[in-house]
Amino acid sequence: MISKFVKFASMATMALAIPSMASAEISPTVKQIQDRGTMLCSGHNGSYYGFVEVNDKNEWKGLDIDLCRAMTTAILGDPTKAQIVPLSWAQRFPALQSGDVDIIIKATGWTMGRDTEVGLQFSMPYFFGGAQFMAHGDLGITEAQELEGGTVCVEAGTTIERIVANHLQTLGVEHTMVSYEKAAELQAAYLANRCDAFAAWGPFLAVLRATQLENPDAHVILSDQLSNEPISAAMRQGDDGFVDMANWMLAALLIAEEEGVTMANVDEMAANPPNAKVARLLGTDPGMGARLGLRDTWAKEMIAAMGNYGEIYHRNLGENSPYKLERGLNNLWSHGGVLYAPQLD
Amino acid sequence: MTTMTQNRFELFVNDVKKRSFGTRTDAAISTVVLILLAYIIWTVVDWALIRAVWSKENVEACRLEDAGACWSIIDARHRIILFGLYPFEQHWRSTLACLSIIATVIISCIPFMWTTKRLAASWIIGFAAYYLLMEGSLIGLQQVTTDQWGGLSLTLFMFASVVLLGMPMGLALALMRRSEMPVLRIFASILIDTVRSLPLLVTLFTAAVVFPIILPDWLQGDKIWRVIVAFALFFACYQAEVLRGGFQAIPKGQFEAGKALGISYANILFRIILPQVFRYALPSTINMVVITFKETAIVIIIGFFEILASTNAAYGTGEWTSYYKEALLFAAGIYWIFLFSLGRYGEYLKTRMTVASR
Repeated sequence: MISKFVKFASMATMALAIPSMASAEISPTVKQIQDRGTMLCSGHNGSYYGFVEVNDKNEWKGLDIDLCRAMTTAILGDPTKAQIVPLSWAQRFPALQSGDVDIIIKATGWTMGRDTEVGLQFSMPYFFGGAQFMAHGDLGITEAQELEGGTVCVEAGTTIERIVANHLQTLGVEHTMVSYEKAAELQAAYLANRCDAFAAWGPFLAVLRATQLENPDAHVILSDQLSNEPISAAMRQGDDGFVDMANWMLAALLIAEEEGVTMANVDEMAANPPNAKVARLLGTDPGMGARLGLRDTWAKEMIAAMGNYGEIYHRNLGENSPYKLERGLNNLWSHGGVLYAPQLD
Repeated sequence: MTTMTQNRFELFVNDVKKRSFGTRTDAAISTVVLILLAYIIWTVVDWALIRAVWSKENVEACRLEDAGACWSIIDARHRIILFGLYPFEQHWRSTLACLSIIATVIISCIPFMWTTKRLAASWIIGFAAYYLLMEGSLIGLQQVTTDQWGGLSLTLFMFASVVLLGMPMGLALALMRRSEMPVLRIFASILIDTVRSLPLLVTLFTAAVVFPIILPDWLQGDKIWRVIVAFALFFACYQAEVLRGGFQAIPKGQFEAGKALGISYANILFRIILPQVFRYALPSTINMVVITFKETAIVIIIGFFEILASTNAAYGTGEWTSYYKEALLFAAGIYWIFLFSLGRYGEYLKTRMTVASR
């Protein structure tokens, strides 16, 4: 009953909204991108594991880069039209304000200060990362609850130190905490078996396990997520149309994963859509394009070029990458994660 | 010739014998030091050469217990270190462009080239060649925008253009600072002291990041040029002070004598004063040039993909991150080759000029 009412109400608002939308101007940033013929995205001055890297052919790769290419495909129909501008961390916000880049997709956390004082606008989060534990595999444990009586190492004076203490106290786990001044010391102490587990930013642990340790399989990242930072795309304040586009680009990638649309089967799915949602998503039924001022097939082209969210994740951080990072929180809500797309109506 | 080297060698051996093995204590200390040295050298050679893995196909061997240096990373990723983000198929252009800069530098080191016309011509040709090759669109090649330039070729370009722009600017500032016209003198000294009291990083950050916000579009130009001009100004202000030292070493009487003989200002300056100024200022100038080469690494902070950034990118991926030592050593080796040759050239110039002044 309620859902019927909601449907009716939303249809009514939509009907009311259509005339104003038709007259609504296209987002200035999108207009600029279309006039220029390229989209300017943020790169890095070096490399940031899994998110922004350079491959053997001197080309950018990584989760953030793929999202930029996906968005470029949505707007311009061609992933190679993405122009990645190398930026340092310090430089990224001024570079966005001065128009050196159109969007920052660069492992950037959504914080209040950035949202208000810095004058940015954020998309919905596309990645969640936070403090996690890594433990020696021979202990046979999988979650922090089982650390009872163990020694936990952390980096001194970081937020993680407090978060860990807090978390273990809440769980009522008796433990000894040892803190080290430097990340390298911490790592050495852990390897020398002076700690049963150590805590750090999740993606960092995964990279460490995959690359620096002699035998990655002898270490396990515990399932507990101690803290959480939403990672979002940042845009200039005041261009709502562009923010909508970023959100729906991310939404389309998630809906595609949910509905099983992949890079390989997207054409087939578009030809014979299994349901109305997929038909709408891939532009078989019209409507997706006009609302954003794009082509009806923008999502189809985007998925054909870059794959759905899951494919992008696995290519850069997950099972098809050297890092083998578990999806964890970054899974769809229907698979135990926190990623979800707004409703496609 | 052979007898002379033999003679020298004998002299050297005798000298070592006398100095280091003269008494028993000396001999003992020398032996211990030599053994230690030999051990260190052996460890390094063993790691870097004997147990090293060389090709990217053998990368699995790097993971073995007794593997030494893993030069596979250089085999697989050297193009990133050398060329940064430059498109892979176009690397021949970047290579040629690098060579043209290196050739220009070498050519201008030859005394035969030391006239204003010849130097100017070779630098204009060398630079034009670099730019045309790298950018490409003007000679009908695929266009590569400056944000894709990187690696060694970007470092060389920044270094060469900073020194090239900065040298004449520095000379001009030095002349202005000792000018008899108060306006020029005051302007130069305020400018020099202002720039010298700002950190280089701030200057470059302002040029790269702040200017686009405050300047109108048509005044901005490409980011790389803004940074080069700012860097060159910085270089010029220090170089002006170096040259001022050279000027002060020259007795005022030379100027006055020149004037008394009715020689024009330009002739006094270029034929009498400046050759001497450069001779006095040479060691500090070489110093400035060497420092500038190394300081170009600072542009990493404003998002340029110079050689250190590209080295970071070369080892910054899951497959290669364990071998960062090798990548950094490779980059250090490149720096060493350039700076050591520069230093040796400075020595050569000094000897040459001492001969000239005799």
